[in-house]
Amino acid sequence: MGAFLVKRLGFAVVTLWAVLSLVFVVVRIVPGDPAQVILGDQADATAIAAMRTRLGLDAPLIEQYWTFLSGAIRGDWGVSLVTGRPVIQEILAVLPWTLELTVVSMLIGVAIGVPLGVWAAINRNRMPDYVTRIASLLGLSFPPFVSAIILLILFAIMLRWFPVISARSGSASAWFQSMALPALNLGLIMAAYITRVARSAMLEVMQEDYVRSARAKGVPWRVVVWRHALSNALIPVITIVGLYLGILIGNSVLTEIVFNRPGLGKLIVGALNQRDYTMLQGMMVIYTLIVVLVNIATDLTYALVDPRVKLS
Amino acid sequence: MKKTGLTIAAALAGALLGSPALAQKTVLTVGMQSTDAGVLDPHLNSGTPGKAMLQWMFNGLVRIKPGELSPEFMEPDLAESWTSSTDSKEWTFKLRQGVQCHHGYGEFTSEDAVYSLARAASKETSAFSSDYAAFDKVEAPDKYTVKITLKQAIPSLLGIVMNYHGGNMVCKKAAEELGKEGFAKKPVGTGPFMFQEYVPQQYAKLVANPNYFRGKPKLTEILYRFIPSDSSRDLAFQSGEIDMMLGRQEQAWVDRMNALPGVKVVAMGPAEMSMLHLNMSQPPLDNLKVRQAIAYAVDRNAIWQFRGKNISRPAVSVVPSGYLGTDEKAPLYPFDLAKSKALLAEAGFPNGVTIKAINTTLPSMLSFTEATQALLKRAGITLEIQPVEHATFHQQIRQDLSQVVHFQAARFPIADVYLSQFFHSRAIVKTPTAVTNFSHCKVADAEIDAARSETDKAKQLALWKTAQEKIIKEVCAIPVNEMMQLWAYKDSLDLGYDLKASLNLGPPVLETTRFTK
Repeated sequence: MGAFLVKRLGFAVVTLWAVLSLVFVVVRIVPGDPAQVILGDQADATAIAAMRTRLGLDAPLIEQYWTFLSGAIRGDWGVSLVTGRPVIQEILAVLPWTLELTVVSMLIGVAIGVPLGVWAAINRNRMPDYVTRIASLLGLSFPPFVSAIILLILFAIMLRWFPVISARSGSASAWFQSMALPALNLGLIMAAYITRVARSAMLEVMQEDYVRSARAKGVPWRVVVWRHALSNALIPVITIVGLYLGILIGNSVLTEIVFNRPGLGKLIVGALNQRDYTMLQGMMVIYTLIVVLVNIATDLTYALVDPRVKLS
Repeated sequence: MKKTGLTIAAALAGALLGSPALAQKTVLTVGMQSTDAGVLDPHLNSGTPGKAMLQWMFNGLVRIKPGELSPEFMEPDLAESWTSSTDSKEWTFKLRQGVQCHHGYGEFTSEDAVYSLARAASKETSAFSSDYAAFDKVEAPDKYTVKITLKQAIPSLLGIVMNYHGGNMVCKKAAEELGKEGFAKKPVGTGPFMFQEYVPQQYAKLVANPNYFRGKPKLTEILYRFIPSDSSRDLAFQSGEIDMMLGRQEQAWVDRMNALPGVKVVAMGPAEMSMLHLNMSQPPLDNLKVRQAIAYAVDRNAIWQFRGKNISRPAVSVVPSGYLGTDEKAPLYPFDLAKSKALLAEAGFPNGVTIKAINTTLPSMLSFTEATQALLKRAGITLEIQPVEHATFHQQIRQDLSQVVHFQAARFPIADVYLSQFFHSRAIVKTPTAVTNFSHCKVADAEIDAARSETDKAKQLALWKTAQEKIIKEVCAIPVNEMMQLWAYKDSLDLGYDLKASLNLGPPVLETTRFTK
């Protein structure tokens, strides 16, 4: 277990370095000048040149790369080119919002997706199966920003149950009010993915010999499904949850903007528009870190669910 | 008996709750189309979200009457009065006494004004330093007098000491104590509202300045919310979560908002003028006849219809309408398809020409260029559009990569600014002094320069008029139409003035602004 973690963390460090270097190069290849964006339309060439010097953008690329990398190792990710505030501070201020939204929507996705998938599988080619398959297809093909607007019109404008501007203020009910619609929006997409995976995994497992023999021995149907089959069908579900967490964070960009929630999504859109190099670099560290950590966590979860999986 | 007492008490409570005095709203919530307001230092922020908010916290020495745009409405702000020498090189301002800086930073005096102007003129602390290039010295002969000496006369000294860009007055003690970064997090001015809190991506909270020199504001708080999604902003406005918001530049939006009960929609100035700059340094646009053919092929009225009658208007000159010095009856080329085709043939292109435009992907600007493309096609002019993301667009057009540049902009409302930035040879792109002269125009340099230091108002106007005529004749650019700034607010909000325009791009919120219910 310890050796596994050390190996994976070592791998994570290499991945981080590769991603950082790639991001460093990419943000500088993409056309668009941060100095121009900061100073606006009316700035003359002299003012723009002065700003580039101030931001350190006129230094040789290799020097900029070294400054950036040595800073990153020391935990100093610089200051935002646009706001002048430390990158790490800006990211940490909104990170909890995105994590919280991702976790809650994932729980919603699992809570809806797993039972639905199982239900569809055990009723293969019957009405529940058809209904579930159509519903999950709908969930997968619906753009999240469209569903977000529909949720807002329905629950915030027509029924007036929730606010349009999602931002909590202290109390548990305020938290719930601000979380409900965005989490539901992302949770339903997640549920659609999980339903499909859970259904096919379940179908496969149900045809295994041990299920057949359990049934032949007279083990009750309910026990066969929930204890014997499901625990084995969960492995692909965990993989998909791990994999789609990245997609979920991506989808949260649109959800955060439509529901007006703070978060990494809003931050990265602003940073991209304004060519805020330092902010983009910092954000990529965070995104990579999240994906790498989730992968490690997924592997660890395999071992918990299936004792046959060895961490080595 | 007990029951009667309760009934009376309930009736009384009901009456009180229903009375306007208790129900009146005092918190104004504003929705802005952005994820953030950017740096909160008025000398550094040039974006719409920042400018709209900073104007509620800062004063200038003078201001344009709230709701108006033209410099002819200039009135006292922190200065009570001012005088200038006959050659317009020496200006003396008398300050109001007893004006207090926010958060207990003491009285605003001439020392603060001198400090503010030096700060605005420095490249290190200001994004607007070039506006102050003509400044020789700024002095404080006494506690309430500010004296500005210029190296040469400029078109509008008052325009750069008003509550706009570098003209915003900061409090010296606060700026020095907090430092550049600290001040940008907690700006300190003298305006009707004081900065209280900034929550990134969510809101900025301002509270009433109880010591404001024009009187204590009637509103207690302004909550300035950052809502980048147009649809969410509309829905939040509809659900009553925000009271005032920036709209989208679409006629359909105006119609939809107007259909809502209790809503006021204002199309205000400054209008952003859409102009097609033709790169005269490259063939076939180096041929005057080709440029004229393009000018004749653009139907301003058709584009006006297309963009929306209530939110746009046809351009009148190469300087937007309503600016000081705009030739409102400039001899623009009229729409004439036959003439356009004939000119192309005369120029040696009987089968038409193909020209290239790098264009931003911003929807309203892209749809404009696409509509123009359709119009030009009828005259045999093929406009190839290369859409690129907005920041890329800004970089590439400054690298002289586009033959036709559609630029949409508003400027300080004096003809000099538009003429100098878009049509003076100093401003030609890819030169060390480049600004936004994309067409390589240089036909009116003499008039633009002469008008800058001309102190005789009539002569100055005549010079600007000649400059506009020359630029139009040479077809450096084709002015097409002007797009207004759209704002919607609840009709229970009484701004306290008639909102026709706001140079800071957001409605001024004054000490008199209040909700009527």
